[in-house]
Amino acid sequence: MTLEVQDLVTYYGKTQILHNVSLAADAGQVTCLLGRNGFGKSTTLKSIMGLVSTQAGGIRLKGRDVRGLPPYLIARAGIGYVPQDRRIFPTLTVRENLMMGMKPGSRPSEGRWSIEDVLAYFPPLERRLTSKGRVLSGGEQQMLSVARALMGSPEVLLLDEPTEGLAPRIVEALEGVIREITGHGVAVLFVESKLSVALRLARRVYVIWKGQIVYEGSPGDLERDRNIRQQYLEV
Amino acid sequence: MIPRRVFSPAAVGIVLVGVGLAPSVMSTSQVYSGTEVVILSLFAVSYNLLFGYLGLLSFGHSAYFGLGAYATALLLLHAPGVPLGPAIAGGTLAGAIGGVLIGNFCVRLSGPYFAMLTLAFGQLLFAVAWKWRAVTRGDDGFGGFLKHASLALPGTPESGSQHSLYYLVVALAVPVIAATWALMTKTPFGNVVVSIRQNEERAVFLGYDVFATKLITYTISAGLAGLAGSLSAIFHDFVSPSVIDLNLSTDVVLMTFIGGTTFFFGPVLGAVFFVYFGDFISALTDRWQVVMGLIFVFMVLYVPKGFIGLGRLIPSVRPRETRPETAP
Repeated sequence: MTLEVQDLVTYYGKTQILHNVSLAADAGQVTCLLGRNGFGKSTTLKSIMGLVSTQAGGIRLKGRDVRGLPPYLIARAGIGYVPQDRRIFPTLTVRENLMMGMKPGSRPSEGRWSIEDVLAYFPPLERRLTSKGRVLSGGEQQMLSVARALMGSPEVLLLDEPTEGLAPRIVEALEGVIREITGHGVAVLFVESKLSVALRLARRVYVIWKGQIVYEGSPGDLERDRNIRQQYLEV
Repeated sequence: MIPRRVFSPAAVGIVLVGVGLAPSVMSTSQVYSGTEVVILSLFAVSYNLLFGYLGLLSFGHSAYFGLGAYATALLLLHAPGVPLGPAIAGGTLAGAIGGVLIGNFCVRLSGPYFAMLTLAFGQLLFAVAWKWRAVTRGDDGFGGFLKHASLALPGTPESGSQHSLYYLVVALAVPVIAATWALMTKTPFGNVVVSIRQNEERAVFLGYDVFATKLITYTISAGLAGLAGSLSAIFHDFVSPSVIDLNLSTDVVLMTFIGGTTFFFGPVLGAVFFVYFGDFISALTDRWQVVMGLIFVFMVLYVPKGFIGLGRLIPSVRPRETRPETAP
């Protein structure tokens, strides 16, 4: 397993948000964490990234325990993260934003993807290389945010509702890119509230409910399991 | 937003030639003011690395100016024969060392807590300068150390004419300001600093060590302030607690803000205004600081981007801004 999360416990103040969350993401696969808003999806990703402190559990990246490391070292260890707000650096150009994504101290040629490779995934960005981040559309910002994460050559890519609020055409393009990324051996873990997206992309699905994993299985099985769907996913 | 315009070589050349030839057409008193402008420009540029680039409001920046000034003055006084170069380097280093020690505590904080802690350290160093009479001679200060300098300035009968001091200050400050400009606007380091101001968390999850970057920036800023202080000590051939007091710490906030923090050279404009307008208005009234204060209030309320922002009030040169410049 590339990423293994075991019995993760996270509190916000005195409120327990994550109750022994366990999940795994494997290289070359898309794994989806499904759940309704406010039930711990984003917190799970932030906990893995070290952006919120965790009280117990284990987070292993290729067997190495990274829980408790400062977030910048977790990033350098090989976990890329695209947050939900997907905001990029507004006063830097698209190119500078991409350069920011490279591992500090590395050269453009050292990563798994060069700027050219990344741009090939996102043709609209290529035309906007010298534009400032703040003039990009929402879809372009999301592309840039994912592209920037790829520049760091992550082993694991965490995506927080990557398709939310995007036009269908862009969603389609983004899904295509996510599939291609896994073809390079990256483990993709994304959180999502819509079952349809998970069904199209994921090989493995977890359902989270009030901070606990209540289902684990293939997307197909989940689709057939009306009970689980009604209980935990449908509004 | 810090626009990173590329200056045309011609414009740079004109400015440099202007700065170089200015003293030949200026009176001694004008050369004096010009030197002050250059020193304060360097100080304000150093301050803006914190204020404009990192978004940290410091109320204790005179600490590093003072460290530089006292270190250079004490070196020249107690180590007779020490050349001017090492004395200036010593002042710069004193500022930087102070920066790394104090910054180590301060940059862990932000907002009002950062401001309060910088104020506290600033006052602490001021108290040392004020009370440690054996070394600093307290409020009296001390001077006349330049005659000990082994390297006489060219064209100087004694310790240095206004003109040669001007050229010394320009020769050191201008390249340093230019190098700082290049560092902040032309290198990945500058981008990382800007990204931290815009969103610290985002920089962190991209793998950047925010604490280290802030501390390095703080240290560079303190070192530049130390250099400015060192040049000031040489320029006046005198130091007293006024080089390390709260007045100077607030003056630099004023200069930087009035000039404009969103543009690298904004603080230079602020220093020019501060010196020349200050001279002008203080010749008219004893209550010139009231006028300065009112201008500051007006700028904060109506022109928060400083003089650089004034350009934007003219529609034809106002750049289109479609989104807020700082990310939430």
